[in-house]
Amino acid sequence: MATSSLITDAPDNRPSNIEATALLAGEGRTAIGTGLKRFMWLLATLSVIGLVGIVFRFINDDGRQEWGYYAATLAWMLTVFGGAPMVAIAPAIAKANWVRPVARIASLGAIATAVIALLMIPLLFKLPALTEFSEVLGDDVRRKSIWFDSPRYAPHFWNVLVLLTLALVGIAMAYVMAIPDFAAIRDHGSGWKQRWGKKLARGFYGRPQQWEWLKMRIGITGAIYFAMLLFTNFTFSLDFAVSLVPGWKDSVFPFYHTISSFQAGLAFVIIGVWAARRWGGMNQYVGHEQMWSLGKFMLATTLLWFYFFYSSFIVFWYGRSESDSATIKLLVSGPYVYLFWTVFFLVFIIPWWIMIWNKVRDSVWGPPIAAFIILFGLFLDRIRIYVASWSAVPDDLELATTDILQEMPDTMWPDVFDVFIMVGLPALGLLSILLVTRLVPLVSLWEIQQSRLITKPIRFLRSHVMLVGKPD
Amino acid sequence: MQQRRILDEFTINRELLRGNLATPKWWLPTVLGLLVVVLFGFTLMGIMFNRGLGVTGLSRPVYWGLFITTFVFWVGISHAGIMISAILRLTQAEWRRPVTRAAELLTVFSLLTALFFPLIHAGRPWRIFYWITPFDFSRGIFPNARSPLIWDPFAIGTYLTGSTLFLYVALLPDLGVLRDRTTGWKHSFYTVASLGWRGNPRQWRLQTVAGILLSALMLPIFVSVHSIVSWDFAVTPAVEGWHSTVFAPYFVVGAVHSGVSAVVTMMALMRWLWGWDNYIRPEHFDALGRLLIVVACAWLGLTFAELIFGVYSLEAPERALREMQMFTWPWNLLFLIFFLTAFAIPVPLWFFKRVRNNIAMMFWTSILVNIGMWLERFLIIVPGLSRKQPFVFTWDSYQVSPLEWGLLLWSFAWVLMLMLLFSKFFPLIPLFETKESQVFTTDVQIGRVTMPAVIRELD
Amino acid sequence: MAAANSVLGLYDTPDAGANAMDGLKAAGFELGTFDVLTGTPYPEGAFGEYVPQHRLFRFPFFGAIVGLTLAILFTAGTQLAYPVVTGGKPILAVFAMLIIAYELTMLGAVIATVVGIIFESRLPNLNLGAYDTRITEGYIGVVVECEDDRLEEARGVLQTAGALEIKTA
Repeated sequence: MATSSLITDAPDNRPSNIEATALLAGEGRTAIGTGLKRFMWLLATLSVIGLVGIVFRFINDDGRQEWGYYAATLAWMLTVFGGAPMVAIAPAIAKANWVRPVARIASLGAIATAVIALLMIPLLFKLPALTEFSEVLGDDVRRKSIWFDSPRYAPHFWNVLVLLTLALVGIAMAYVMAIPDFAAIRDHGSGWKQRWGKKLARGFYGRPQQWEWLKMRIGITGAIYFAMLLFTNFTFSLDFAVSLVPGWKDSVFPFYHTISSFQAGLAFVIIGVWAARRWGGMNQYVGHEQMWSLGKFMLATTLLWFYFFYSSFIVFWYGRSESDSATIKLLVSGPYVYLFWTVFFLVFIIPWWIMIWNKVRDSVWGPPIAAFIILFGLFLDRIRIYVASWSAVPDDLELATTDILQEMPDTMWPDVFDVFIMVGLPALGLLSILLVTRLVPLVSLWEIQQSRLITKPIRFLRSHVMLVGKPD
Repeated sequence: MQQRRILDEFTINRELLRGNLATPKWWLPTVLGLLVVVLFGFTLMGIMFNRGLGVTGLSRPVYWGLFITTFVFWVGISHAGIMISAILRLTQAEWRRPVTRAAELLTVFSLLTALFFPLIHAGRPWRIFYWITPFDFSRGIFPNARSPLIWDPFAIGTYLTGSTLFLYVALLPDLGVLRDRTTGWKHSFYTVASLGWRGNPRQWRLQTVAGILLSALMLPIFVSVHSIVSWDFAVTPAVEGWHSTVFAPYFVVGAVHSGVSAVVTMMALMRWLWGWDNYIRPEHFDALGRLLIVVACAWLGLTFAELIFGVYSLEAPERALREMQMFTWPWNLLFLIFFLTAFAIPVPLWFFKRVRNNIAMMFWTSILVNIGMWLERFLIIVPGLSRKQPFVFTWDSYQVSPLEWGLLLWSFAWVLMLMLLFSKFFPLIPLFETKESQVFTTDVQIGRVTMPAVIRELD
Repeated sequence: MAAANSVLGLYDTPDAGANAMDGLKAAGFELGTFDVLTGTPYPEGAFGEYVPQHRLFRFPFFGAIVGLTLAILFTAGTQLAYPVVTGGKPILAVFAMLIIAYELTMLGAVIATVVGIIFESRLPNLNLGAYDTRITEGYIGVVVECEDDRLEEARGVLQTAGALEIKTA
């Protein structure tokens, strides 16, 4: 007996398209809540403090090791904001329906990558050239890196190019994904939002050809963003950390950096969903189903964080060569041993023990708790890696180009300007995203509408189920 | 393009049990032919035990050659089962249904085959039990738990046990069907094997939960097994080209690449041999092809990382090894064949939908991939070892002996024979999954368009 | 509690099976004494059946603890029994023991899970009671376990719903 003969309609209690449009694109969005206004002013203040911190860092510059915290902060921002759009891209490739409402929150992370690209400029002045010692020791003497015998403008030029490309592609992807919502704002909004909605919608009226064009552009920008994210993590992690430390030869490290980026991106989106529910009035659009799916992936990436860390650790621990032992001491058991164990618990043990329980994972409060812990833990992890690397760069000419870290640096504690930077720069990134959400709805209206089109609550014999269409 | 067929349970039973309730004409001659090769292989093993490892090409410094290459190869093939079965089950992908059991089966039998090689490789395998089990108190030494060679049996044993149990649990409903369709000794056998399966909601619910829970447990094991096998090489700094931290994910992704390709090969054979056109359709090959593109690109990235970091430190021995691997005869030819077959030929072809929907093309490209992936393991293991100690008494490099080639052939015949024997007694395509698909999928009308739809239970 | 009788009604459509289940509920038969047998899984609650509770998730934890204990005994015991320093590593090398501990923990969890699945499915139970082989051909079976005094009532309800055949065991 065909399934269709066993199906009957069931009541649909989901908000209608009209309600969704009014909430997300209509007049009701014009006013900004006091709470959000205060929060944005706080972020703006912290951003200024962060910029002041950069200026004073230049003024009170006692050497390369002072810039470790700046590098760590940028690395963390790249990890979180750069990784967030992947939450929109990867499930969309797998045609997952649950990701539709959260795709916007995820794609907005790309806005902050433009901020990261700008903030990287001061750091580039402090990143040593590969040929730093060539004038003294000879042209063929360079610091070990993946650029081998490249010309003098590596790695600076390439890192700028890669990060700028990432930012441009990310913004392009976020823009393309928002075009139908701009059209909705043009049609239902008012004031400056309606004017900007009209400009940015660029004549989008929902014709079939325009939808095909949109899908294709989203696919292309998504694929390029994914490739660029991998490449950016590769170059940034190697040039700003690995190649600074003599004897640190770690082929899995870029992948470790990338997987923690996915983990952080998932955490960012989970917190975004929590905030959208808590303060955005979007309980009926994003909730349990999104938290459940995002939580599962975050648990998987948490386990993968440990897997990639251990892959590197066991090879160094077992090998026990001089460079292997020095690398382990620098990053794990030496000057940053307490930091390492804190990271281990915050990024792996605690989130794993929170998310492993079905009832916790299947709730709207469990994943955000784990997400906050993970983001804080990953910040400490970036400090562990980048502060250690920048403080390990030897000033001695010969030592810098050898294969072994001869002198273990002391623990580098942050000063007040480092604290300004660590607090201010992420605030700047978050502020840039919140500013964009003044125009762009936090939850994707057109994706919700499409989801409503292809899903329907039904009765199958005596049970209540959901019918989900599978368009090609 | 969705190619759903509407089939009733009676038709599904009849078509998918075709090989179990009757014997196809080609089955017996094929099994007998494979048995001849298998017995030949066991004879070769006997010769090797009798005359010693000198009958192979192994010698200092290349003490790991074709046997370990083939061991790693078959462990790699085994990764298809859980990849397809577990991950696709957890993501509720509908297209997994005809594939899962054959993939799980390939896992079990390829692991069994893989286990043979380190055992026979010892020369006197009956002594190997002293080495991995702590029972002989008079020797003054117990297994070294710090050695990757001891980690291996635990990892592979766990994976093999888990996969076998996973296979059996998922087989229970189909054993119930076979119990109901047979008489005589077969009926008695299936009655006991099915444990009294009735098909009440409790049992069906537990099947679903079991699938998800076991998938979630097997996935970390799947990642760990080939990682541990890779650490046999990666942890030692003594051999050029081995001491690299990327080996674990590199081996795992490579295993998925070769394993999923092997599943494609197997599915094409199943469709052709048993006439399962209604169940194994071009859309399945299309989906697998797209999955293979993603996996192959990830594998390429990891291969690139492994090569780049091989020469990162610019040490002379590492550079010399890479130069030998890529530019010196005969390694350069093997390297070229490896790259062409593992990536450069199949992957660009898979980008075309016409190729992905062409079963013959998918069959041949999947075989190319496995030729390439076998060569990849050979090129990782042997060149590094052959350069390990420059001043040794052997003047020749490693030459694979006819006996070793014979045992490589034996391994393929052994796996195929086991699969065919299994197919005689148990269905290769899960009946209950196919029937479940009929219940849980339907068509839905949206405007003028009719599209396929699935039923999702509400939590 | 062992019921005196097991009565099976066989139906050719899922609708008829669901109607039979409704009829049994309306007739006051206790939840848990009647069940539906199908050759394919249906969405949970499709026949209005009693949704079973299970405790499967406890099994993997128990198995994992057993596996972890065995792993620690093996790795620590063997190394302490005949301590031989290899490769400069400590006798109790936690990072290496971790790998065997992980594998045996997972093995314990998997084996316990499978035992749990079989146990929670109330298997093995080779006595099928009232059963028909056509259930695995697409027919729906509704089985009731009742005492003698309600046997005829059960048969009547099943017949009213349109049973093709009624069997008793």
